Amino acid sequence: MDLPGPIHNFLLVFLGSGLILRGLGVVLRINPIYSAFSLGLVLVCISLFYILTNYHFVATAKLLIYVGAINVLILFVVMFMNIQNIIKILIHGPLGMALLRCTILDTSWYGIIWTTRSNQIIEQDLIGNSQQIGIHLATDFFLPFEFISIILLVALIGAIDVTLQ
Amino acid sequence: MMLEHILVLSAYLFSISIYGLITSRNMVRALMCLELILNAVNINFVTFSDFFDSRQLKGNIFSIFVIAIAAAEAAIGSAIVSSIYRNRKSTRINQSTLLNK
Repeated sequence: MDLPGPIHNFLLVFLGSGLILRGLGVVLRINPIYSAFSLGLVLVCISLFYILTNYHFVATAKLLIYVGAINVLILFVVMFMNIQNIIKILIHGPLGMALLRCTILDTSWYGIIWTTRSNQIIEQDLIGNSQQIGIHLATDFFLPFEFISIILLVALIGAIDVTLQ
Repeated sequence: MMLEHILVLSAYLFSISIYGLITSRNMVRALMCLELILNAVNINFVTFSDFFDSRQLKGNIFSIFVIAIAAAEAAIGSAIVSSIYRNRKSTRINQSTLLNK
């Protein structure tokens, strides 16, 4: 959605800080149930990010698939096992993060925008995000779409076969 | 400036989850950090497709495929973890040495 500037910035900062704190919560909490719930909140924050950038379909798909299916599966696995609480030793690695940050901030990203190709869909602004994705999935990306369905079928059969006695 | 901020955020999420994946002694926590890694990559894809590719949305569609692959991998990963737990009664990573001789 196209929000006015200050609300957009405030929501970005809010979601970004939530993301940072909960990402730390997934890794550093000792109790695995707390880290599973923090993972769910991280995924909700990322979905709200996507709503801010006008990509409604990907946001809803992530909410449904990640939070609704994958996070629930991970919670089931966590509660199914009797995991003992383990105390961890912290290893500090800030050098890699600093290198990444310098690389990102020193690159001129807006010089790339002049090399993109022209329009492929004629009615560009009248179509919503779901229809654009549907058009591209059905025409350009049809083969990966079918492969993904086969992969999901094979994964389903494999997972059931592993857990059978 | 907004593109760099979101890229730094996804890089931060990526590095935090790689740290969590490497230093976790618990298999389920490693699975959770793997999901976080795939999510950080997704943020990158969608951000680039938003800023540079509003016509064709290639990054957006690729992130849908990444979501599907992550779902399949989470299912198989939890199946393997639960069968290892059933055999060994523990979920520590350094004890799952079934492939060693």
